[in-house]
Amino acid sequence: MKAAGGAGSVVGGEFVLLGGWGFTGDLTLLRLPVANLLHHKLRTALCAAAVGIGVAMMVVQLSLSHGTLNEVAQRMESVDAELIVLPRHANVIFQGGAIFPDTYVELIESAALEGEPVVAKAIPVFLDTVRLGGQQQRLFGIDPADMDGFLGSRRLRQGDLFPGGRAFKQRIEQLRGNSRRYDPERVTSDEVRRACELIIDTRLARVGGYSVGDVTEVFGQRFRIVGVVEAGVAGRVFAPIQTIRHILNGGVPWSSMFFVKLRDPGQAEVVADALARKLNANVELKTQYGSLLRDSFSQVYTYINVASAVALAVCFLFIMLTMYTLILERTREIGILKSLGATKRYVMAIVVWESVLVCSAGTVFGILLAYGIRVVIEATMPLQTVDIQWRWLVLAVAVGLVGGAISALYPGYRAARLDPAAALSFE
Amino acid sequence: MSDAILTARGICKDYRDGDRVAHVLRGIDLTVERGEFVAVMGPSGCGKTTLLNVLGLMARPTSADVLLVDGADCLSLSDRGRTTVRRERIGFVFQRFNLLRTISARGNIDLALQLRGAALDGQAARVLREVGLEECVHRKPGHLSMGEQQRVAIARAVACRPAIVLADEPTGNLDSANTQLVIDLFRRFHDAYGLTVIMITHDAGCASAADRILHMKDGMLEPVE
Repeated sequence: MKAAGGAGSVVGGEFVLLGGWGFTGDLTLLRLPVANLLHHKLRTALCAAAVGIGVAMMVVQLSLSHGTLNEVAQRMESVDAELIVLPRHANVIFQGGAIFPDTYVELIESAALEGEPVVAKAIPVFLDTVRLGGQQQRLFGIDPADMDGFLGSRRLRQGDLFPGGRAFKQRIEQLRGNSRRYDPERVTSDEVRRACELIIDTRLARVGGYSVGDVTEVFGQRFRIVGVVEAGVAGRVFAPIQTIRHILNGGVPWSSMFFVKLRDPGQAEVVADALARKLNANVELKTQYGSLLRDSFSQVYTYINVASAVALAVCFLFIMLTMYTLILERTREIGILKSLGATKRYVMAIVVWESVLVCSAGTVFGILLAYGIRVVIEATMPLQTVDIQWRWLVLAVAVGLVGGAISALYPGYRAARLDPAAALSFE
Repeated sequence: MSDAILTARGICKDYRDGDRVAHVLRGIDLTVERGEFVAVMGPSGCGKTTLLNVLGLMARPTSADVLLVDGADCLSLSDRGRTTVRRERIGFVFQRFNLLRTISARGNIDLALQLRGAALDGQAARVLREVGLEECVHRKPGHLSMGEQQRVAIARAVACRPAIVLADEPTGNLDSANTQLVIDLFRRFHDAYGLTVIMITHDAGCASAADRILHMKDGMLEPVE
């Protein structure tokens, strides 16, 4: 049997040639979903924006909470010491009060292993809180002589390191003589006034608009900012410990905590155990500070994680609803696909791919938005640290893609099960 | 010697709406030879579209004795098997064209080829040229006239080399000039390539292009000539 016209031939009634057709090349499964998305630009943009906002919220919340705590931990770890001695029942977010008498300095420094002294130096710190830069700040009362240990490689940007505080320390030592205490009545208000000095870090200086010479009220006294140090040091606010003890403690030389510098940093764990037993105190490795801090905030993290999950769930419900509506709206198109012989799996794949593509775009948008929010937060709230880490970005991409696919499963399933004849007659 | 490409015996299709049952097809018997052009005429509501849906495996008959499409026993096939037969052996042309509006004329044809697992190699452009639409390759359906859309739909149906093309009122939405173009296309593909066509139409003029005309009434077929 020959076809007429010579343009083709029929063998056994089947085409073997029609206009010289050949069959090479391919069309990817993505072409139709991409075309659908581009055809409905506004809807696509809104869906992507919904996912993006959820992703950005998750990334920013995680980056802000972890970033802020990590920044605190890194600052504490910048101190030139290996151990931290805290009161036995205090945790690392312990805020204030001084319960260690200065005899602890001698106890710590006299610690030995197998008869060999192991501690190079005990650095007392008097912790309290002050309000500066519009929020509560932890104040580190330290001996002016220890400031170098806190600075490490960071530089003094402006001013000086407690000139009045050093003089006040000498005056107190003179008054004490060989005694542990002195009579605070013998210190004049003028001497105290000259010793009321603060050193702040550059971030706090930027937030509060502070510079050297500025005066602010702390503990009912007028404290003068005498130095600004590079951010990254343990505290944002330092004051001479002798001044703080004089004002808050009647000059009694007690401390809130100690940093302990060891002769051999490699012995840190062993010395920590020995010191804990000896002092009946909580002795932690400085390197463990970050995880201790995170443990202390575990409930906050739970809240943040739940809040992020809820935000994302709402976004993906929105996607599911949109895809479901889309299926209803596109019932006829699905009927067309089925009339062309599209399998259920193919129809489902089209719907899922469409959702995954939207969510991919949304995830990219969300990540960019998170970076934008970081810029805004750091510009308006410089004390907050938004540390966008790779793991949050990987998590965002995974959540975006998996969430997109899962959100489309049910609408895709509904689409796949549509009766082709009924779908084609859908108005 | 008979070379039937479609054999249907005792095809019945009922639709239920609560307690009411509508007997839309009442024992259809139909045999179509390979390369035959058959027109089915009948009043609205007589079951023509339902018949086409059953023959095209878009709907299952309520009961049937035989339904063979290009040798495949379609009554015993699963949904997946019916989909495969539909994809590989049947082409559809609808009154409302039923093109995917988000992709171009060529994209519509490519998609059909892709679903069939055929390579593309520009044959969409070639078949569009065959229907006189070489200028419209990249246009989306919304930018084509109704006559052009129907020609794209015909190109899509024949591009996959189906054993049989089922056309449901293909000229129902067209003016007389486009009606003639469409009928000429069916006739040309039929004459040139031995395309088997079953076409439902209200238009006696269109039906006259067919080799055989069947009349359908109250869910049953009667030969007219």
